[in-house]
Amino acid sequence: MTGQKLPKSFSELAPFVAQGWALATERERVAKRCSSTMEELTEFYDAVLPKVDEIMTYLDALPLNDLPEDAQRLLDLTFSLAEASMSVERYQQPGVVDGFDPERFLPFSPFGQVP
Amino acid sequence: MDVAVDGNGKRMETDYGKRWTQDYPELGTDPVPVASRLTQEYFDRERDTIFSKSWLNVGREEQIAETGDFFVQDIAVCKASVLLVRGKDGEIRGFHNVCTHRASKLVWGGSGCKRTFTCKFHGWTFDESGQLVGVPDEDGFYCLDKSENGLVRVATEVWNGFIFVNLDPNPKESLQEYLGEWGERLADYPFQGRTTCYAYQGEINANWKLCVSAFNEGYHVPFVHPMSAPETFRSKKNLFCRPIWVKLYPRHQTYSFYANPDSKMTALEALSAKYGPIVSSGPLGCPPGANPAGDPDWALDANVVFPNFFVDVANDWYFTYNFWPIAPDRTFYQVKSYFVPPKTASERFAHEYGRVLLRDVLLEDVETIEHTQLGLASGVRSHYILQDSEILIRHHLKTVENHVENRV
Ligand code: FES
Ligand SMILES: [Fe+2]
Repeated sequence: MTGQKLPKSFSELAPFVAQGWALATERERVAKRCSSTMEELTEFYDAVLPKVDEIMTYLDALPLNDLPEDAQRLLDLTFSLAEASMSVERYQQPGVVDGFDPERFLPFSPFGQVP
Repeated sequence: MDVAVDGNGKRMETDYGKRWTQDYPELGTDPVPVASRLTQEYFDRERDTIFSKSWLNVGREEQIAETGDFFVQDIAVCKASVLLVRGKDGEIRGFHNVCTHRASKLVWGGSGCKRTFTCKFHGWTFDESGQLVGVPDEDGFYCLDKSENGLVRVATEVWNGFIFVNLDPNPKESLQEYLGEWGERLADYPFQGRTTCYAYQGEINANWKLCVSAFNEGYHVPFVHPMSAPETFRSKKNLFCRPIWVKLYPRHQTYSFYANPDSKMTALEALSAKYGPIVSSGPLGCPPGANPAGDPDWALDANVVFPNFFVDVANDWYFTYNFWPIAPDRTFYQVKSYFVPPKTASERFAHEYGRVLLRDVLLEDVETIEHTQLGLASGVRSHYILQDSEILIRHHLKTVENHVENRV
């Protein structure tokens, strides 16, 4: 998705879309997490975390399998939040501490689904 | 109450002091030889006595839900490739993925949906039931009977939606017999409804048995997962993640992991838990077959099917591991987690949270495996010293040995 728009009530999160946090696939989100600094991860985490409930209330009123583009972007942002939370809440560093190389742990889709 | 002693010699009370090994005296308590079981020679015997003769999980029936849906499963240790296809009659069949003309590999990999399979080499064509239905320039052959030259079948059976194959042309028992009491206990677990799957795969530079033994004990948890799961699976009552239940079947195994009911969730974990499943959601509405001890402080059960398949069941989701030997020091793995398909964005978010947390925990686990392989390869240590919580490792190595020594 190349657009940048978020649903109107969440326009204050627009800077994080501009910084490239709204990503469609797990691989892109892992790469973004691992190439960000703790400052960037923390800033993103601090901004989105307090909005999660509001975001879910908004998105749950829409059909999950047919989300408008701006709503999908918002959901993708929360998926990146899940990644960032691992760095901020648990590891105190971007990647897993003493972890296996994520490049050797590759997502695939036996059921042809889920990016 | 029993007593456990921490790494600094401090003694503390525990509710989880049962010595499971005492229930299985035939396993003994001595150190277990392991270095001698990582050789090419041992690997070849494992191929002949285990992987060529056991029921091996290759996937779920939902992967091939429609007529003509297929996937290919290579079984490198046996130099085999199996083509699994859903037939017109709804039946799932397995075939050696080998053309009957000049034995080329028929389907070169992957998955999809086809009514017929045509060999790339000279165009011989087989239908979804394996029949040879087309031979280009058939007149040029001498007494070719198409009905005699369909694809070679591989024994294929389905248990609770899980597809298993057996490379033995005449398996000595059915899949149901093979799974036995283990299978009966999990007969009613609701695998069927959990069809949203997040999967990972790759290669580990280690023996397949080391991969199995990284996931069937809790002793490592405080040391390998101190940041990702600091108190999820342990508490003052159970400092070292002793199991809350262990059952060893003749070949298969179950190990119930403890959950700390007072574990403090992180901020995002707590939000996610409002919307969907978390790993330690306790026995509320505990599905049939899970949490056999009925312990209120239950997290999940590791259910290990000999030789290389795990079905780990939690309350609202489950996950599987398959470990496929490639060489004495190389293993291909697949990890899949399964959820009820999300109906809302918030449920989808909770799945993503669980997927990311599990993935990072597994990255910690997998990292230990290659270090163990390297340590054993140095030849300095020939045996494992195993404690009670590591009883499944003792049992797995013993079961492998019984096969290799032709005692089964
Ligand atoms: S090998 Fe398949 S058609 Fe010749
Ligand atoms: Fe672990």
